[in-house]
Amino acid sequence: MLDLAQIYNGYYFEKSLLSIMPEAVLIVFAFLILLAGLFNSPSKNSLNSYYLALIGIAFSFLYLFMLSDHTIKGFYGSIIFDKFDVFLFTAILLSGFLTILMSKNYFDTRSVLMPEYYSLVLFSVSAMMLLVASLNLIMIFLSIEFMSICAYILTGYLKGESRSTEAAMKYFVLGTFASAFLLFGAVFIYAATGHLSLYKIHNFIFKQNYKVHYAYNLHTFLAIGLILLLVGLAFKMSLFPFHAWTPDSYDGAPTPVTNLMATGIKIAAFGVFIRVFTSIYHFDVFNFYNILWILAILTMTFGNFAALLQTDLKRLIAYSSIAQAGYILIGVIAGGYYGISGTLFYLLAYVFMTAGAFAIIIMFENLNLTSVDIKSYSGLGYKYPLAGAAFSFFLLSLAGIPVTSGFMGKFFVFSAAIKSGYYWLVFIALLNSAFAAYYYIKIIVKMYMIDDEQPNIPNNYNNMAAAPTNGTGARASANGETGLVKEKAVPSALLIAVIICLIFTLILGIFPQPFISFASKSVTSLWSI
Amino acid sequence: MSIFLKYILSIIIFFPLLSAFILVFVNKKAEGLLRNLATILSFAEFVISLFLFIYFKSNTYEFQFIERFSWIREFGASYFLGIDGVSLFMILLTTLMTFVSLLSSYKYIKDHVKEFVILMLVLETFMLGTFASLDVLLFYLFWEFMLIPMYFIIGMWGSGRRIYSAVKFILYTLAGSLIMLFGLITIFILHYEQTGDFTFNLLKLYNTNIPLTLQIVLFIAIFLGFAVKVPVFPFHTWLPDAHTEAPTAGSVILAGVLLKFGVYGFFRFAIPLMPEAALILTPIILVLAVISIIYGALVSIVQKDLKRLVAFSSVSHMGFIMLGLFAMTAVSVDGSVLQMINHGISTGALFLFVGMLYERRHTRLIADFGGLAKKAPILAALFMIAVLSSVGLPGLNGFVGEFLILVGSFKQYTIFTIFATSGIIFAAVYLLWMFQRVMFQDITNQKNEDFKDMTFREIMTVLPLILLMFFIGLYPDVFLSRINPTVVHFVNIIEHNKYAYNLIKAKMGLFNA
Repeated sequence: MLDLAQIYNGYYFEKSLLSIMPEAVLIVFAFLILLAGLFNSPSKNSLNSYYLALIGIAFSFLYLFMLSDHTIKGFYGSIIFDKFDVFLFTAILLSGFLTILMSKNYFDTRSVLMPEYYSLVLFSVSAMMLLVASLNLIMIFLSIEFMSICAYILTGYLKGESRSTEAAMKYFVLGTFASAFLLFGAVFIYAATGHLSLYKIHNFIFKQNYKVHYAYNLHTFLAIGLILLLVGLAFKMSLFPFHAWTPDSYDGAPTPVTNLMATGIKIAAFGVFIRVFTSIYHFDVFNFYNILWILAILTMTFGNFAALLQTDLKRLIAYSSIAQAGYILIGVIAGGYYGISGTLFYLLAYVFMTAGAFAIIIMFENLNLTSVDIKSYSGLGYKYPLAGAAFSFFLLSLAGIPVTSGFMGKFFVFSAAIKSGYYWLVFIALLNSAFAAYYYIKIIVKMYMIDDEQPNIPNNYNNMAAAPTNGTGARASANGETGLVKEKAVPSALLIAVIICLIFTLILGIFPQPFISFASKSVTSLWSI
Repeated sequence: MSIFLKYILSIIIFFPLLSAFILVFVNKKAEGLLRNLATILSFAEFVISLFLFIYFKSNTYEFQFIERFSWIREFGASYFLGIDGVSLFMILLTTLMTFVSLLSSYKYIKDHVKEFVILMLVLETFMLGTFASLDVLLFYLFWEFMLIPMYFIIGMWGSGRRIYSAVKFILYTLAGSLIMLFGLITIFILHYEQTGDFTFNLLKLYNTNIPLTLQIVLFIAIFLGFAVKVPVFPFHTWLPDAHTEAPTAGSVILAGVLLKFGVYGFFRFAIPLMPEAALILTPIILVLAVISIIYGALVSIVQKDLKRLVAFSSVSHMGFIMLGLFAMTAVSVDGSVLQMINHGISTGALFLFVGMLYERRHTRLIADFGGLAKKAPILAALFMIAVLSSVGLPGLNGFVGEFLILVGSFKQYTIFTIFATSGIIFAAVYLLWMFQRVMFQDITNQKNEDFKDMTFREIMTVLPLILLMFFIGLYPDVFLSRINPTVVHFVNIIEHNKYAYNLIKAKMGLFNA
């Protein structure tokens, strides 16, 4: 194979370029899509931009694969390409890939698709990757803004629907607010240390720990800066007190975009979070991990309790993703080699199970044009046996039942936390999992077990589509006569997405060995920046 | 043949899964074919599992038919299988009960036959895996996933409040399992800190040195997981609901196999991993066991619903098994293990008979029956044998197990045993009284006039169980000789730890009175 890093060795600028090659390819393709959009015929539903987007992702994967053995620093140390990036890039690209697969079908049925949609998806994916690769506070801020602006537009993409617009507006206002916090935090840290580069901040703190006469107020500055930075990032990770935008935006956004927000953005946020907070781990003025500890417990408990009360499936998944963020945070708190690799593994597992669940939601949304109200899922398991089984599988994975990736992820993270001595944290997290199982199972109950008292018994499925789905409004069954199932075949792109998610959820649950090795190897590069 | 024997455990575990996979490709409409195929395949599975029995070396406590492959290196988890005298019979019980319950459900299960037989076979795989795995992570994987097929079986084919029961079943057992997971991970990490070796190998984890206070905490955590499954008295509330609403096949599997997992877990995991904590907490657990025996029996007496009666009798019988296990003498543990088999057979048979009554009359209330013996003499006779076996009549299996338990525990825990013995008397009361009201007296309900006797298939369903009742009752040595070496080894471990335990007792002044 062509070894790019060898060829460009010694040429500084080219090396810098090489360090952002996977991102750059995506940006090139994003522009290509915009160009190609000029030649689109409106009837064709922007097919070429769809394929271009897929090819872009494929090329990015290719570059990732070619460079995967190297550690390249670029742009005066503000961007790095290392093993840690390789793992998270893979997860983010997969999330983008699955999102694109889902998008085609989703927008086909709503006929609002423009080429710029795919270009925006590629832009935001590249921004997520840049965010993970950033080693500099300015770079982190720029990437977060880049990523967020793409996400704001994507959230409001269903222009006709007020819910979508409202979601975008809420997301935008709160998101900007959080970015301000982030920037403010960066300013404080700069004031305390005189550096913006994470590497230099790390060295600075490491040296200051041994100096007796270090000005106390600088410590305070650093602590304030870190907390503000945490607030900014916690917003993107949707941790508890900063989660308020999540349910509304997830609910109002087009479902593929919801998937991108729930998986890609969260991964990127966790990635940069790990980068920042592993580089300040020598800073022990106050026990920073106590704050995270409380945040984790509040996040998962709140997420689970709120999810329990939801009747709308997308909102339910939104709250459950808040809870999931709490579990993932446990891995970060556990820290160390074991904890961080557990976090990475969980993030990868999380991509597949969440994307799978969203793909099935889209499938049901499109086939039935029913709403995402849980009530309308009644008996669906019988109507679409395979889709129902797959959905149940993803839900069980989210609940953390064995044989699925969700269990392995939780197991990895929890055992890391016990290893670091966080017994109570794990105990509460386990109680939370037991509690969370209830609302996941509630959906499965709806799909498979129909109460005898209800009029719709499994023997006459065909009536189910025709029966008015309660309170669904706009998207309620427009052509809900009978036999909807047979007439509309499941679109192949969606099917591929579901199958990929299904296979990986199963493999990560039963034979996680290669993925765990991958995660463990990628962690080693973190402490050798 | 040698390769077959080398991988026999894997073959046994995954053959039902393979069968289920084959059935996926059978047309949904061909219900007869699905039923026959599933029954034949599960019978084939039972025949394969008999090879274990034939080639099992009965003179050693060592694990046999060991298979070991690396699975997840980072956690030190491996695909590690092996059986001893106890798991041997649990596996045989599982394959037999699955076959019997598939055979029993020809008439009961009318909708979604395909899903039903597939779920039953998947369930079998996970039950067998749980009994055969010697790796803690592997065990947990099988253990927890097992809930899912059972949950669907109760929720989709159950009666009445099936959804409530199914959700209750899964939430109770899931909560218990997760707390247990906490305990297991802690032991795993502790072992790593002591030896620097990441391993889930159960045999290595046995050597973990757990400080006493932590041991008690962990024992309670793991106790919760297993006690919910048994179920021991305050954790039993899911059982009557799940048993009552489940379809016959589900009840048979629940009573026959699933309840055994709790006791098996104590035997394999909780007690050997934390022997000192087990010894310290024994009095409390024995109190709970005796309460289970008496409470279960008393509640059974007043039940109006046949299935609920049998379900509560399970609570009572499982109390005996817990008593035998925690008395921790060789004789009582022998009896306890044998009683696990007996309970599976007897209670499984009782559920089958209740199912037959329900299929004919679509009611389970005792008051709706009466005088059936005249109309269905074969049913009455065979039912009588199952009832007597459950009561513990000498010559049938129940007697041997209960006798061993009571004899074994008497010397150590006299008062507990005396209280427990009353459970046998109560058992005679509720079971025989129930039998009298259902089978004898005059026919009061007109609907019972055309009550049909057992069909050939139904006789074949219960016949293996009836034969086993006599066989174990008359010649238990076939079973006991294979169980005994394992049990003696188990008791030796405890005795070995008693020395340390006595030291602690002297120090802490515990139970001196």
